[in-house]
Amino acid sequence: MRFWFTEEQNKFRQTVRDFLQAELKAGTFVAKSGGLAEGSSQEFSKKMAQRGWIGMTWPKQYGGQGRSYVDKVILNEEIFKVQAPVAYHFLADRQIGPSIIHFGSDWQKEYFLPRFVRAEENMKFCLLFSEPNAGSDLVNVATSATKDGDSYLIRGQKVWTSGGHQSEYGWLLARTCFDPKVPRHESCSQFILDLRLPGVTVRPIINMAGRHTFNEVFFDDVRVEKRFMVGPENEAFKQIMAQMDYERSGVERILQNYPIYQKLMEYVKKMEKKKVGEAFYSWVRDSVAQLETEFQIGRLLVYYTAWTIDQGRKPSKEAALAKAYCNQYEQRLNDLATRVLGPSSLLREGTPWAAFDGELAECYLWSPSYTLQGGSVEVLKNIVAQRGLNLPRK
Amino acid sequence: MDFNLSDESKMLKSNAEKFMKEKSPSSFVKNILKEEKGFSEALWKEMAGLGWLGLIYAEPYGGSGGNFFDLFVLFEEMGKAVFPSPFFCSAVFAGLLINEAGNESVKKAYLPGIIEGKKILTVGLQNEQCFYDYQKPALEARGDGKDSFRIRGTRLLVPYAHVADETLVCAKVMKGPRSSGSTLFITKAKDAGIQLTPLNTITGEKSFAVTYADYPANVKDILGSPGKGAVYVEKVMPKLIVLKCGEMVGGLSKVVDMTVDYVKQRVQFGKPLGVLQVVQHYCADMTTLLDTARMIAYQAASLISAGLPCAKEVAMAKAWCSDAYKRATQVAHQLHGGIGFTEEHDLHLYYKHAKALEMEFGDSWVHRQRVAEAMGL
Repeated sequence: MRFWFTEEQNKFRQTVRDFLQAELKAGTFVAKSGGLAEGSSQEFSKKMAQRGWIGMTWPKQYGGQGRSYVDKVILNEEIFKVQAPVAYHFLADRQIGPSIIHFGSDWQKEYFLPRFVRAEENMKFCLLFSEPNAGSDLVNVATSATKDGDSYLIRGQKVWTSGGHQSEYGWLLARTCFDPKVPRHESCSQFILDLRLPGVTVRPIINMAGRHTFNEVFFDDVRVEKRFMVGPENEAFKQIMAQMDYERSGVERILQNYPIYQKLMEYVKKMEKKKVGEAFYSWVRDSVAQLETEFQIGRLLVYYTAWTIDQGRKPSKEAALAKAYCNQYEQRLNDLATRVLGPSSLLREGTPWAAFDGELAECYLWSPSYTLQGGSVEVLKNIVAQRGLNLPRK
Repeated sequence: MDFNLSDESKMLKSNAEKFMKEKSPSSFVKNILKEEKGFSEALWKEMAGLGWLGLIYAEPYGGSGGNFFDLFVLFEEMGKAVFPSPFFCSAVFAGLLINEAGNESVKKAYLPGIIEGKKILTVGLQNEQCFYDYQKPALEARGDGKDSFRIRGTRLLVPYAHVADETLVCAKVMKGPRSSGSTLFITKAKDAGIQLTPLNTITGEKSFAVTYADYPANVKDILGSPGKGAVYVEKVMPKLIVLKCGEMVGGLSKVVDMTVDYVKQRVQFGKPLGVLQVVQHYCADMTTLLDTARMIAYQAASLISAGLPCAKEVAMAKAWCSDAYKRATQVAHQLHGGIGFTEEHDLHLYYKHAKALEMEFGDSWVHRQRVAEAMGL
């Protein structure tokens, strides 16, 4: 057993670090939490593309580097530690590209994959899954794709569409079978949807942190050519099940608020026991040691999940377990940091004297979403129990 | 990163698992604890014959020069079976102290016997509050003439003292009013100047209070250099702690298996308990405790095995595993209901084991302070 990296991997990590440090120095971006949700820059994505860092794990024949998932975690660990602005290509890299590789047509592969890998313009993707009546119960989607000659007419509504207002494309889940005798999970298809088509309306939703990152998206008889359907009709859930693990297995699940962790540790190191009182210092010390242990374990779980993928195994239990664990850690980090910093953590960005310049208040307001997005902790625990421990499904 | 066990480790683990399953099922464990000896001589001989006791010792003493990680997986399997034996106190704690502190003739005098299972040694480093006090022992070795001492005081939670040949202790050497540092002594386990009192602990594994009443010791009984007792103990402590983590991971895995099996069969409200979402979530939580405990313990074991510095990793492992194993047994009791609360059932063996291992060498608070230290706080 080896819990450390090879020299090659360490060199790779250093290369990524050097690149990011140079970009930080040049002022390309700021290392502040929220990079993934809000930092979209085609320019930055192009720099990563030039280094072969988009589609790293994809087969070479599709423009990828054929590298391991462990290497991908190394790359992403460094990226997310400084919250580099990767939102432009992130979904394409994480799941759109892989879905097209596994289920897409030749034309879709030829058209989209090279454009992803090169971070070409007008290639930002969002996910069009959740609906007002279909969150955890995803099979309940009602957005319809009705066949009409050589196209489908899309009618319905999506919600919580992160980045939908900045994206050119969406990865759409819609119903294509309306026979009530057919089970719901065999009634849907996936489409690549050009959001610039007539009939698409994107409306902002402001989250409780006062930010606009997600949206409602309405489809009013949007006409999609049938060549944009992914795979055969009614196979959406088969495809989604196959890809879910990859979406969930990333290191971003423990690093969304890494700058808070870093700033908290720096703050605690500078704490003066006499000034804050021995009893409080003692509690802080104990709490931070617990947090650190939780963080190190979460990190190992993510690497283990990636390693499992590299061994050719399907990491359904591992990915779900890791994500549930990591998201809960991220919430505890924010809460603990507010208790260490005290009431200055109430002060928001732009307010003088705010803890961590207001970043802590912002992160605390984002916290409830961590254990909900991309599969709630409850759904993930169901997966761990049912797929991991073979407990009965119904 | 490589999370595969080597072929040798895999084989040892599977052999050990088979051994424990066939020769030490829970019924056997419960019966043997009721007997005076408290462990099986026959199985002890077998384990010695398999080379388990000498796994990490050098070949000239009869060991197999194996690596620490293999000993760790062995402890995982023993933990899974809550297997009672003097393995830890004799072939690990005492053996490692002798290996660390002893000169060649001392090692030759004790290690072969320990490794063959012919000699049983134990260790008494806990004071009357049951805390480890090897830094400043309450046990005294008063100077009595040129090279002699009289040892006075009580040691608690001394494992298997009743079957041991020798007991290792740390005593504060007193020459008149002046004391020099903590010094390791090898004392006889039984003697006119020694009183053994059996202690009834929650696990039932044989444990004793050992009271030294002017027990005569000699300079020759000092292990290593005088005044360096704490140094030797601290040197071997990381290995001891990580092996206990291995035991905890093994026990935890059994608790998860036992509980998942139970909720699949137990029918209430017309269906197996395992259909209920809250039950599924509890089980998901338990397997998360297991996977995380395993991950952090294996990390520490692999670093020790590779001879890499790992003070922080050892502390994280003990802190996490102590809480994880204990928590898993609590959840398991909830899911088992009344039946898990009976003596007839096996769950209580693990519940007790978890608490005892949490208490051994410091609970999660103690080790979190070490994590904090390693972080520079």
